Amino acid sequence: MTSRTERNEIARVVGRARRPRRKVPPALANALKIAGLAVVLLWCLFPFLWMAMTSLRTGADALTDPNILRGPFNLDNYRQVVDLGFHFALRNSLVVAALTTLICIPVASLAGYALARLPLAGKFLILSVTLVATLFPPVALVNPLYQMYLRIDEWTGISLLNSYAGMVIPYVALTLPLAVFILTTFFAGIPKEIEESAKVDGATPFQAFWRVVVPLAAPGVGAAAILTFVYATNEFLLAFSFAPRDLNVQTVPVFIGTFQRVGYENPIGQVMAASVLVSIPLIAFALILQRRIVAGLTSGAVKG
Amino acid sequence: MATISRGTSREGRVRRGLGERAMGRIFLTPSFAFMAVIALFPVFYAVVVSLYRVRGFNSEFVGLGNYAQALTDPDFYNAVLNTLVFTVASVTLEFVIGMGFALIMHQAFVGRGLTRAVILVPWVIPTAVAAQVWRYMFDHNPGFANAVLGAEINWLRDPAWSMVAIIGADVWKTAPFVALLLLAGLQTIPGDYYEAAEVDGAGPIQRFWSITLPLLRPAIVVALLFRTVDALRMFDFAYVFSGYSNSLATLSVYAQRFLIAEPRLGYANALSTLTFVVVMLVGLAFISRMGRHMVGDAAGEGER
Repeated sequence: MTSRTERNEIARVVGRARRPRRKVPPALANALKIAGLAVVLLWCLFPFLWMAMTSLRTGADALTDPNILRGPFNLDNYRQVVDLGFHFALRNSLVVAALTTLICIPVASLAGYALARLPLAGKFLILSVTLVATLFPPVALVNPLYQMYLRIDEWTGISLLNSYAGMVIPYVALTLPLAVFILTTFFAGIPKEIEESAKVDGATPFQAFWRVVVPLAAPGVGAAAILTFVYATNEFLLAFSFAPRDLNVQTVPVFIGTFQRVGYENPIGQVMAASVLVSIPLIAFALILQRRIVAGLTSGAVKG
Repeated sequence: MATISRGTSREGRVRRGLGERAMGRIFLTPSFAFMAVIALFPVFYAVVVSLYRVRGFNSEFVGLGNYAQALTDPDFYNAVLNTLVFTVASVTLEFVIGMGFALIMHQAFVGRGLTRAVILVPWVIPTAVAAQVWRYMFDHNPGFANAVLGAEINWLRDPAWSMVAIIGADVWKTAPFVALLLLAGLQTIPGDYYEAAEVDGAGPIQRFWSITLPLLRPAIVVALLFRTVDALRMFDFAYVFSGYSNSLATLSVYAQRFLIAEPRLGYANALSTLTFVVVMLVGLAFISRMGRHMVGDAAGEGER
C-alpha cells in the first residue's frame, strides 16, 4: 500500500518522464490511415489503369495526347494483337509455366521432405547450398546451355532451341532451389507426432510421407507451385535467348518486351492491349491465391 | 532430438519398405542431380570457355586474357557503374517506400484485406511487360510522365534520365513486394512491447527505432538480400528500355550482347562469369549474416 504522498510523487515523476502528449483525434487518425491505404492502392493500380485506358484508345489523338480520357475508344488494338498472334504467346507462356511447375514441384517436394525430416548427413550444408543457389544469375546459363542444345541437336537431331523444353529445363533448374527451400520450411512445420503415429500403426516411411505428410503439406506445396508458376511466366532473358522469334514457342514477355522492334508505327496501343490481355488473368490468379502467395513469399522471412 | 527419433525408429523398425536413410538419399537425388547438370556444370563450362578466344570454329587458349580485356574495356566499367547505380538507388528506395507501405498496412483496420490483395498486382505482372508499360508512360509520345510532372524531359534518350526512369519503374514493381515481406515481420512483433514503451513515454519515432527496426531485422535482411541480388542481375528493364545501348546496359545486358547479338564467346563467358561471381559474393555476404537463423529454422533445428 502506498501513501497518498508517495502516489503523488510517482505520478509527478512519471508525468515528467512522459512527453506532453498531443493526441491525434481518432477521427483524424482514421482519415490519415485511410488516406495512406489509398496511396498504396493508387500506387499499385494506376499503371494498370493507364495501360487499360491506353489500350482502348485509337487514332492519332490517342498516340500524341497524354489525356487518357480522350478517345476515340474501340477494340481495334485488341484485334490487331490477336492478328499478330498474341494468343499463341499466351498459350506458350501457359504451357511453359505449367510444365515447369509440374516438373519442379514433385521433385522439390521429395527433397524438401528429406531435408526437413529424414536422417541425412550434412543437412545444414545442403540447405545453405540450396539457399545460395536461389541467387543464381540466369545470364550465366545462356551460352553453356546454348552450346549444350547445339550438341544435343548434332547427336540426336532433337532441337531444344526454339522449343518448350529448351525453356522448361533451365526454368526447373532455376526454380528448384527456392521451391526446395519453401517446402523444407513447410514440411518442418508439420508436427512429427502425426507421422510417428502413422509409423506406429505400421506404415512404411514412404507410406507415412505419401499418405500422411503430403496431404498435410498441401498449402506449402500450393505456395511453392504458385511462385514457380509466376517465375516461369515472368522470365525474359532465357526465353529471349533460346526462343526469340518463333511464334509457336515465343512466350509473352518476349512477345511484348521486343515489340517495339517489329512495327514501323508507334505500336503503343497494341503493346498495351497485349499487356492487358496477359495482366488480367495473372492479376485474377494473384487475387484468388493471395493467401498462398503471401505465405510462400514470407516463409523464412519472418522466422529467425 | 535427432538421437531420440533415431532410437524410436530403430526399435519400431518394420522390415519392409524403404529405410529412412536410403529414402532420404533417393529423395534428394533428382533435385540435386538436375541442378548439377543444368546449373553447376554450365558454370564450369563458362569458366573454361572464358579462357579461350573463340573465332568461328577455332579457339585459342588465352588464359586470363579475356578477364584482362574486361579490365581495360571502358564499356565494361560502364556496365558495372550502371549496375551499381541501379542497385543502390532502387534497393534504397524500395526499402524506404516498402517500409512506409508496410507500416500503413499494419496500422490499417478497414480495407486491409483489399490492400493486401492489390499489393500483389505489380509483383505478378511480368517484368518485361511492366517495362514496356513504363517505357510508354515515359515516352514523349503521348507524354504521360511529362504531363503529370509538368516537365519536358527526354526520358528515353537522355542516359541519366533513362536511368531514373528504370529505377522508378523497378521501384514501382518491387516496393510492394518489400512491403509484404516487412508486413509479415511486423505482424510477429507483440503489441505489448509498444504499449509498454508508450507507458514509459516513448514517442512514435523512438518506438520505431528502438522496437520496430531491431525486431524486424530478420525480415529486413531477407528483403534486402532478395532485392539486392535481383537488382544486380537485372536484365529486363534495361533491355526493354534501351536494348544493348550503353546508356542503360547492366552487367547482364552487356554479357548477353556478346553471347547472342554479337557473339564473342570467350569474352562473353568471361563477362557472365564475372557477373556470376559478383552476384554470388554479395549473396553470400548477406547469407553469412543471417543464414544460420534461416537455414536452421528450415531444417527444424530450432528445437535443438
